Amino acid sequence: MRLAATRLAATLAAGAGAVWLAYRLDPNDVPIYMNMGLAALVAIGLSLLMGFAGQISLGQGAFYALGAYTAAILTVGLDPDERLINPDAGIPPWAAVLVAPVLTALVAAAVGVPLLRLRGHYLAFATLALHLILIAALFAEDGFTGGQDPGLIIAKPLEVAGFAMGGVGDAARNLAAVIWGLVTVALLVGVNLVRSRAGRALRAIATSEAAAAAAGINVAAYKLRLFVLAAGLAGLAGGLFAFRLGFLSPDAFPVIISIEFVVIVVVGGLGSVYGAVLGAIAIVWLQDRLQQLGTREQLLGFDLPVQAPGVFRIGVFALILIVVMLFLPRGVLPALGDGLRRARRGR
Amino acid sequence: MTELVQLVVIGLSTGSAFALVGISFALIFRTTNIVNFAQGAFAVLGGQLTVWLVDKEWPTAAAAIVAVLLVTAIGALVGLVAVGIRGLTTPLASLVITLGVAFVFQALQLLAFGDRPHTYPAVSGRAWTVHGVVVQPQYVLIASVTVVAALLLTLVLRRTIIGYALVATSDSVRAAELVGLSLRSVAVVTFAVSALLSAVGGLLLTPIQPVNYDSDVGIAINGFAAAAFGGLVSIRLAFVGGLVLGVAQQLVVGYGDVITPQARQYELAAALVIMLVLIGWRSRKETVT
Repeated sequence: MRLAATRLAATLAAGAGAVWLAYRLDPNDVPIYMNMGLAALVAIGLSLLMGFAGQISLGQGAFYALGAYTAAILTVGLDPDERLINPDAGIPPWAAVLVAPVLTALVAAAVGVPLLRLRGHYLAFATLALHLILIAALFAEDGFTGGQDPGLIIAKPLEVAGFAMGGVGDAARNLAAVIWGLVTVALLVGVNLVRSRAGRALRAIATSEAAAAAAGINVAAYKLRLFVLAAGLAGLAGGLFAFRLGFLSPDAFPVIISIEFVVIVVVGGLGSVYGAVLGAIAIVWLQDRLQQLGTREQLLGFDLPVQAPGVFRIGVFALILIVVMLFLPRGVLPALGDGLRRARRGR
Repeated sequence: MTELVQLVVIGLSTGSAFALVGISFALIFRTTNIVNFAQGAFAVLGGQLTVWLVDKEWPTAAAAIVAVLLVTAIGALVGLVAVGIRGLTTPLASLVITLGVAFVFQALQLLAFGDRPHTYPAVSGRAWTVHGVVVQPQYVLIASVTVVAALLLTLVLRRTIIGYALVATSDSVRAAELVGLSLRSVAVVTFAVSALLSAVGGLLLTPIQPVNYDSDVGIAINGFAAAAFGGLVSIRLAFVGGLVLGVAQQLVVGYGDVITPQARQYELAAALVIMLVLIGWRSRKETVT
């Protein structure tokens, strides 16, 4: 009991620190700070899914995109012709952000019901297919989504009680603070989930599905709930992302982002919600470094080809996946924690 | 009517490539319980390497054979990596490893071949016309290769001692080890064979559908959907599944504009919907494990 209270206090303190940091960072660092928080939201859900359901979703990027477009389109109005002339079309942005996770969760439920009953990772391929289909639809239905050109411009700012969020300046800081506040909430929900009755069931499933089923646990139903929760979190992150720049284009959601969410979870440790947050910070930082490295003209005396940013982005994350899964399948951060503990005991 | 038959003919040929990839999925899953995400990469590599050699003025047949041999060797290596470390690597971990492998190949291909689609000329430029339906020799080639491959593989698995040995490992790794079979050697063999099959499928498909460094994702999904027809274990049903998917997609491309003018964009959506419906139907029979 005391341990739980300490943990709660520590998490709340860290969350408050993360929110405070949103107002202290250099303005140039605020966008990447937001990306870290958004990735953490997605990763918390995916980590629970991978760690406890033993299932993997390769379509978290699709749910992220779906959340973003849902929030954006509801805000600017469903009718493309109305959008330009009628500023009152659509619903208030804050309401749109709340609808986004609900809709993505519903889509996930529809896909998950038939697939999560089966062995053999049907979910992985179906979710990946979902991502490809969503991208195709975003391009194809450009009258509705704006496609790549002109894209989707959201003129209304996200505003709650006079606080503007998104864009630049203080509004960007506000959005970053909200995102990290939500990360803290998601963390607490995740930790509580793992420590509740549902959590004991989930751990039983993670250890042995057959034994869990024999103990009367509805394995398929629990897996479905985790999948729907993970999709909902991704949808929420997407909905907030829409207001980060107030502009959306399908280019922002390539297939590789779904893989990057998996990399974050794998680095942070499957099933570890704290690891998911730390993994998100590490991987988004690395992503930014690689982007800068790839756009250089020369590296170590070699001329870099034009496709270097793509090669770095895809190749480095792919290698991380292979190496971590082979040698540290519990995750890099848990392994580091174990190492530290062992070193302390040895002293 | 002619248009319908034409679409079915094209669908059967592209479906044959899906069938080859689907059979590969089934072969690996049935023997090692691993879902190999890199399966699409084998197909794309087969196509890309063939194009690369043909561009170097190699005769097409020689280029194809060398490409297939290279991909087979790569497949054996991937099998070694995918199986991981005994007692440490779970099936989920194996899937993630092969996911990593697939994207390593994407990065390497992006570096070596760039991000434009590649193709090479089909076996013969001359096509047969039967009652107004155009039949490219390439279609016939790819379909016959697929039939032969599926038959051979079924025979090997069902009738030979090697086949029994391969299948035995998936039932019980420990029992197979008692009779001297290690999961690792089984994985190396089946990954090599599946890489061979997928590479053949990929390089035969390339003249019909050019390949790009990231084409593997779509091919992997289609191949997996084909294998899903047979619950990921049946070679025969994976074969049928591939053909059904190929035809269904062509019909969506050909007739989908009745529903939406952008039907062509939704080829993959058709594959997913068919897969979901069939799996939903199957899952009523299969027990939850």
